[in-house]
Amino acid sequence: MAAKKDVVQVKNPKSGHYVKIDRSAGKIIAHKTSAGPYKDVPIARQSK
Amino acid sequence: MISYRPTDGDPHTKPIQYRPKTCFLMTQIGGPDDETLAIRRSLTKILSKSGIELIDAGSVVTGKDFLLKIWNLLLAVPLGVAIINEKMRPDAMCNIFYELGVLQAYGKETLVIKTEGAKIPSDFVRTEYVKYDKDFKGAMGKFLEHFLAQADYYENVAGLLEQNPLLSIDYLRRAYLISGKDALRTKVRNILANAELSGRARDSVEMLLADF
Repeated sequence: MAAKKDVVQVKNPKSGHYVKIDRSAGKIIAHKTSAGPYKDVPIARQSK
Repeated sequence: MISYRPTDGDPHTKPIQYRPKTCFLMTQIGGPDDETLAIRRSLTKILSKSGIELIDAGSVVTGKDFLLKIWNLLLAVPLGVAIINEKMRPDAMCNIFYELGVLQAYGKETLVIKTEGAKIPSDFVRTEYVKYDKDFKGAMGKFLEHFLAQADYYENVAGLLEQNPLLSIDYLRRAYLISGKDALRTKVRNILANAELSGRARDSVEMLLADF
C-alpha cells in the first residue's frame, strides 16, 4: 500500500494564489492560477 | 544555490556577504534629473520607516571589477527598486533592466518606480511597478506591506518543506534577508544538524547556501 500523502496549501502573498505542497515528499506540487483555495486540501497554519 | 560569476562563468565559491533589510537602488548614475532625485529622497524616507536601508553601486568600494561588485550586491540584498523615467539615457536603462533580470533570477523581490512617460519593456510587464504621482506614498506603503509579509510566507513554506533540507534552507535565507530575524539562522543550523550536512566542505553548495 502506498504511503498516505501529507498535502497542504498556503497562500503566496505576492501572487495572491494558493500553492499546494506535499510535505512528505518535500515538494511544491502545484500553483493555483485562479482565485480561492484548492478544494479539499487543508490550509497550512502559520508556523512560528 | 549555485551562482555563476558573470565575468567568467565559473560558479561562485565564496560566502555571500548578505545585507538583510536593505534595498538596492537601480537608476542612472551621474547626472540624474531633479525628478529622479526627488523620487530617491522620498524612497529613502519611506524605506527607513520600515527599517530598510537604501544602497546603490556607490555604497561599496572594492577597487575590483565594477560588474562583479554590482553582481555581489544583487546577490546580497532582498529587494531591488528601479527608478526609470523617459529622460534617461538608453544605456542606463539597459543596465537597469539587466540588473532587474538578475535580481528576479535569484529570487529577489523587485519593484519599478516609473514616471508618467516612462515605458517598461514587454518582458517586464509582470514586474510590479508604481507611478511617481500623488499616490506614490500610499502605493509604496502597500508594496512594503506585501514585501514584509513575504518573509512570513517564506518561513511558513520552509517549515512545510522540511523533507527537502536545501529548499527549506533557501526559503529561510530569503525570509532572513527580508526580516533580518536571527531566529531564522538558528532554524538553518538545526536543519543542517538534522540533515547531517554539517560535515561537508565549507565551500560545498550546501554549506554556502546555509552560510548567512
